[in-house]
Order: sequence, then C-alpha cells, then structure tokens
Amino acid sequence: MATETEAQKGLEIHPMDQFLVTPVLGDGPLMWYSFSNTAMWMAITLLGVIIFLVVGTRKKSYVPDRFQMVVELIYGFVRNMVQDVAGRDALPFFPYIMTAFMFVIFSNVLGLIPMSFTPTSHIAVTATLALTVFISVTVIGFVKHGLGFLGLFWISSAPLPLRPVLAVIEIMSYFVRPISHSIRLAGNMMAGHAMIKVFAAFAGVMGLGAFVPIIAISAVYGLELLVAFIQAYVFTILTCVYLKDALHPQH
Amino acid sequence: MVDMAGTDNSEQKKNLQERIRNLEEEINPPEKGESPISQANMGWRMVVDLVAGVGLGFVIGYGLDILFGTKPLNMILFVLLGFGAGINLMLRTAKEMKKPETNKNEGNTPD
Repeated sequence: MATETEAQKGLEIHPMDQFLVTPVLGDGPLMWYSFSNTAMWMAITLLGVIIFLVVGTRKKSYVPDRFQMVVELIYGFVRNMVQDVAGRDALPFFPYIMTAFMFVIFSNVLGLIPMSFTPTSHIAVTATLALTVFISVTVIGFVKHGLGFLGLFWISSAPLPLRPVLAVIEIMSYFVRPISHSIRLAGNMMAGHAMIKVFAAFAGVMGLGAFVPIIAISAVYGLELLVAFIQAYVFTILTCVYLKDALHPQH
Repeated sequence: MVDMAGTDNSEQKKNLQERIRNLEEEINPPEKGESPISQANMGWRMVVDLVAGVGLGFVIGYGLDILFGTKPLNMILFVLLGFGAGINLMLRTAKEMKKPETNKNEGNTPD
C-alpha cells in the first residue's frame, strides 16, 4: 500500500528550484526594479556584516571578549593574507579586499540556513564581484605603471619571434581570470546546494529508509560549511594574486 | 643525573637546542595542517582555468567567425589559443605552489 502511493507520487527532484529569482515584495513579473530574493538576501548579508563588525568592535577593550576576538582574528587573517600574497604596498587596498571577503563569507554561510537563498550561487553576482576586481586591478596597473603595465603581456625572456604569440596567450589568460574567478565561487555554491536538494528528494520517497539520505545530508551540510569558508578564502586570495600582478607586473 | 650534566656538557646543550626547536615547532607549527585543502584548491583552480580558457577561446573564435563568415577557422585558432592560455595559467598556479616552501622560512618573522 505504502509503496503504491509512493510510486504514484514518483520521484520528483527539483534541485534547481531553490535558485529561482523571484520578487519578494508584490508579485507579477520580475522587473529590474522589483525587490527580488537575491536583493533581499544581499541586504541581509550586508546587515549581518555590519552588525558583526560594528557590534563586535564596539567596546574596543584592550582585553577582547570572545566576540571582539573573532572580529580581530578575521581582520588579522585577511590583513596577513594581503601582506603575504600581494606585498606591503598592497595594504592600501586592504579595505576593499576585507569587504569582499566579508560579503562572500557571510552570503555563503547565511545561504546555508534552510529556506534561505544564496546570492553567491548566482553567476551574475559573482561575475559582478569578479569584474569589479578585474576592472579595478587593471586600472590600478595602468595608473601605477602607465603603459609599462603592458609589459605583463610581453615576455622579454622568450625569443623574439615567439613573443607575439605568447603575448596573445598572455592577454587571453588575463581575460580568463575573471571568468574562472566567478565560475569557481558560483559553481561551488550551486553544486553543494543542488546536491542537498537531491538527497532531500530521496529522503522524501524512501519512507523508513529515509535515515540514509538524511545522514548523507548532514555530512554534505558539514562539507558545505567547509566549502563556504574555503571558497570565500580562495576568492580573496585570488584577488590578492591579481592585485600583486597589477602592482608588480614583471614576472 | 648530576653526573651526566657534569660530563656531557656539549651533549646536553645539543639536547636542549633540539628541545627548543621542537617546542618552537609546537608553538608555530609549519603550516601543514591546511595544505591538503589548499592543494585541492590549487587543483580545482587549474581545472577551472583550463576549461574557462577553452570556453573563452571558443566564444571569441565563434564571434569572429560570425563577424567575418569564416566558419571554422577562427574557432579552431582561438580554441587552441584559449587552451594555451589555460595551460599558461596552470603553470603559473604550479609555480605558486612551489614558491611558498622556499619563502616560508624567511617570512616567518612576527610583525
């Protein structure tokens, strides 16, 4: 009897439904001005970052309490990363990198709350982040080095006839970087969330055997938590790497 | 105990230095704990870079083909160039993987 109803219901898996962008305020078609769930969760992310950092550092005590400790730890972590990867002269750009890091990590982690929405699982959001990095890094390179920045693409250690070919390849790899930069973050976030949904659909039709996919979901959830942090870290460290290329274009 | 200390002074000094080094390592562990993760990340970086390179090459070539009406020519050329760009990025990532090991000892000063 039970198996019959299950068979009738069938296995309905909609792993991608969770990524639909829908208007939150009011209904009807999604227009450019409608307040979508992406916008809402980005606003929540922003609010979370502000609350976290402002409340965490409000007391400014010499002996930090736990909250302040976490904030200072993250601050020091990102600062050291900028300094180690991109060098001391990259420190003026630390605020931007810290902002990007906090935004990505908060939206990744907030997206793990059940029923929530992950803005960073959308390539549109991550591509914007990556493009901001790409454009600003390019501008910084040209401002700091003028046309000498183009030396990044002209490999003087190669034999002369090969250089034009290598220059084309170098320019292409320069343009590949923002693409892979954005695909990596969005892909990682999307894949994990879709996987959880698929397992959840299994649990829905398995009856008593549902504990197997539920255990699997808990395991994947833990993995996702790790991925959320790691991808934020990777996004930031790659930003630092690109910044280093702009500040020191010689190989 | 007292005897040993009296006779083997240099030996004891060496032992002490070794102990100090071990303790220092315990306090400041060589960053090995996160290396499997970061290495996996480097691997993923290479894969994504390669695929994105070929993809970008394909898109550029296809667009140029539509523009000039030379159907497969630019596509082939730019897919190959994109593949080259991907490999270029891959090699750079590999170089980065090698670098920290040599830098780690000098860059360990606290600030």
